Amino acid sequence: MFGRARDFATARCRELLTNSTRWAKAFSEWFREPGRAREARGINLLREWLSPEQRAQYDRFGYFDVTGCDSGKRYRIRHGTGTNIYEMDAAGQTRTGWCFVPDGYLVAGDVVLAQKIALETDEIGALTVAKHFVLR
Amino acid sequence: MAVQIVMDHNGDTRHVFDANNAKELARAEKRFRELTGAGFTAAARTGSGDAKVIRKFDPTSEETLFVPRLVGG
Repeated sequence: MFGRARDFATARCRELLTNSTRWAKAFSEWFREPGRAREARGINLLREWLSPEQRAQYDRFGYFDVTGCDSGKRYRIRHGTGTNIYEMDAAGQTRTGWCFVPDGYLVAGDVVLAQKIALETDEIGALTVAKHFVLR
Repeated sequence: MAVQIVMDHNGDTRHVFDANNAKELARAEKRFRELTGAGFTAAARTGSGDAKVIRKFDPTSEETLFVPRLVGG
């Protein structure tokens, strides 16, 4: 009976050690990878998902415009990780700012892409969680 | 080959699978259920470059992107 308990404990310890090693390795790889590599991956993904017009605008100005799926309003999304969405009026002037982001730490390209998808597919849902900010 | 792209702290993580392989397809469907169950939004691209949200696993989708839940900034 003691032998069986010892075998069980040994197996659990081995499993714990294996998992710990795996987590440590994953963390180490994440830590050693330059931040710019992660940023570049996010920007590549964003560029793949932008329409040709949005991509051209983003490459030239660092922002692109999207149309809200529910209201038809236009929004300008600047490259960034927060307070980077601007609602436009009919004259193309920025009226108010909106801020919503995907949960967790994500690179700027991912944040911007998540904002674009949200406004184009669930504008009301996105603005429901968003906070607005005053433009200066 | 199809791919599921999950946004994360590394930029993204890509899971490539063969939609003609039953085991890989089942694994992809399980991943879809787990991620959407955890609050991720699944999206696919249309031919015109627009995004559309997917509520149910689509075995014919070539590329599915998983976006974490949104919060006010």
